[in-house]
Amino acid sequence: MSKECCGPGYASPKEAMQADREKLLYTVALYVGTGVEKPDYLATVDVDPDSPTYSSVVARTEMPQVGDELHHSGWNACSSCHNDASKTRQYLLMPGVRTSNINVIDTSDATNPKLHKVISGDDIKAKTNLSAPHTVHCLGPDIIISMLGDADGNAPGGFLHINEDFEIVGRWENDITGMNYNYDFWYQPRHNMMVSSEWGAPNTFMPGFDLEDVGAGKYGQSIHFWDFEGKKIVKSIDMGADGMIPLEVRGLHDPESNEGMFAATLSSNVFRWWKTDDGDFEIEKVIDIPTIDVDGFPVPMPSLITDILISMDDKYLYFANWLHGDLRQYDITDRANPKMTGQVWLGGMLGKAPEVNGVTVQGAPQMIQLSLDGKRLYATTSLFSSWDNQFYPGMKDKGAQMFMIDCDTENGGMSINPDFVVDFGNEPNGPSRCHEMRYPGGDVTSDIWL
Amino acid sequence: MTARPSHKVTVANRGGRELNVAEGENIADACEQAGIAVPIACRYGGCITCAGRLVSGSVRQPKGTALNKRQSQDGYILMCVAQPKQDCVVEVGVETHTSLYRNPFLGPLK
Repeated sequence: MSKECCGPGYASPKEAMQADREKLLYTVALYVGTGVEKPDYLATVDVDPDSPTYSSVVARTEMPQVGDELHHSGWNACSSCHNDASKTRQYLLMPGVRTSNINVIDTSDATNPKLHKVISGDDIKAKTNLSAPHTVHCLGPDIIISMLGDADGNAPGGFLHINEDFEIVGRWENDITGMNYNYDFWYQPRHNMMVSSEWGAPNTFMPGFDLEDVGAGKYGQSIHFWDFEGKKIVKSIDMGADGMIPLEVRGLHDPESNEGMFAATLSSNVFRWWKTDDGDFEIEKVIDIPTIDVDGFPVPMPSLITDILISMDDKYLYFANWLHGDLRQYDITDRANPKMTGQVWLGGMLGKAPEVNGVTVQGAPQMIQLSLDGKRLYATTSLFSSWDNQFYPGMKDKGAQMFMIDCDTENGGMSINPDFVVDFGNEPNGPSRCHEMRYPGGDVTSDIWL
Repeated sequence: MTARPSHKVTVANRGGRELNVAEGENIADACEQAGIAVPIACRYGGCITCAGRLVSGSVRQPKGTALNKRQSQDGYILMCVAQPKQDCVVEVGVETHTSLYRNPFLGPLK
């Protein structure tokens, strides 16, 4: 863990990799769209192999209101405040995409997180005309949250600025010109850059996925590069058919680096992005997953790359193909030419691994989280309640699952750990959906170094 | 002062419970007040969580944007914005969602 003199997180990505092995993992767990009329909750999972409760849910922290659709989450402070001893990584902000509530969870007692405060979705709508909170990032006393719609669920949304006391400051951006839709974002102040991606308007994606909406241009296909200090877009790139529905945006962890990766989910391509020496931004497609013709399907099935992440040493890229049902590892030492080094199958519509570790997989690999040392990749199988119900209708009655994949960081390679599975089909209040995961001490998708 | 006119809403799959829903009030609120648990989320007609079936009668759905034409034709309404225009019979809950969702890759689009 960090030295006593310092603030949250780690001095560098290299130091983060030396941290103790993760013992607890948080995941959101949802009842939206399951028929169980209970609030979503934060599930604390024991991932310490020496513990008698290893591979099980050890605490459940209920949100105060039904129907949030918890999705992603973020900390009040991360390694970007490592030099500020007055800061602690204590609060996990958990937005509800459907209610627009932002639940603030106090994790002082890591094994027993408690609700601290709710920023009301109605307040957010009234004060900022924004709804559908998604990605949470912090920087000093500020917290920025991407918002996917206006108060009525229309595009393009914007960015919500809240302070360290979890009060609404207002909208973060100065100018949103050029943005059609909003989704994820990542920033690196050292290079004065921010990158944001596009899903669709809440009114479009909330009810479910419809190819007609894609044809009508209701889903995003652009990526936006920002002047972070000026809080305005400096370049937008429309990727056309190659770049449909760009979701998770990841930067390399090394703060010297001014590049990263993102996936176009529907087109199922991975792009590399970077800032050039003269301050321009460029992208290039570096991975293209072919569609597969499946009997009985009238259109070729995309792999649907739904989550993507980069290991702390910036050596490996991992991503999940939620329709095909595989997880992949690529060596990205040569940034422009990723080499596939590992692959495992979990559930999915191709039927390659319907049962894993004695459990019938509902869905397929979706959200992923990697240990700081890069050796363990955790995967959950739910995407979004209404989309789950379209593609994997069994999940609403049987719940989603969490698996762990052992990763070879020397030679590349992945294998499903046979001793770890958390079946959210067995939850006490009924089957639930597990989605994004975080470690109490920070993980490979939460922290930024200045 | 005169009471606002109200309409009778029968919740067919909750034991046929009958609710009086005042004009301007939505069915989800009326169910909650009567202690009938219904799925609920955005409360503005923008997500599909509260969808249920309108078996008979008619409703206004101001700001209801979450249902497409097929879903509406199949009789789905959004309880969080649905205000009865006359006496109605509805079915609520996720158990009504059997034909609400479809895999878009699994058949020709209508």
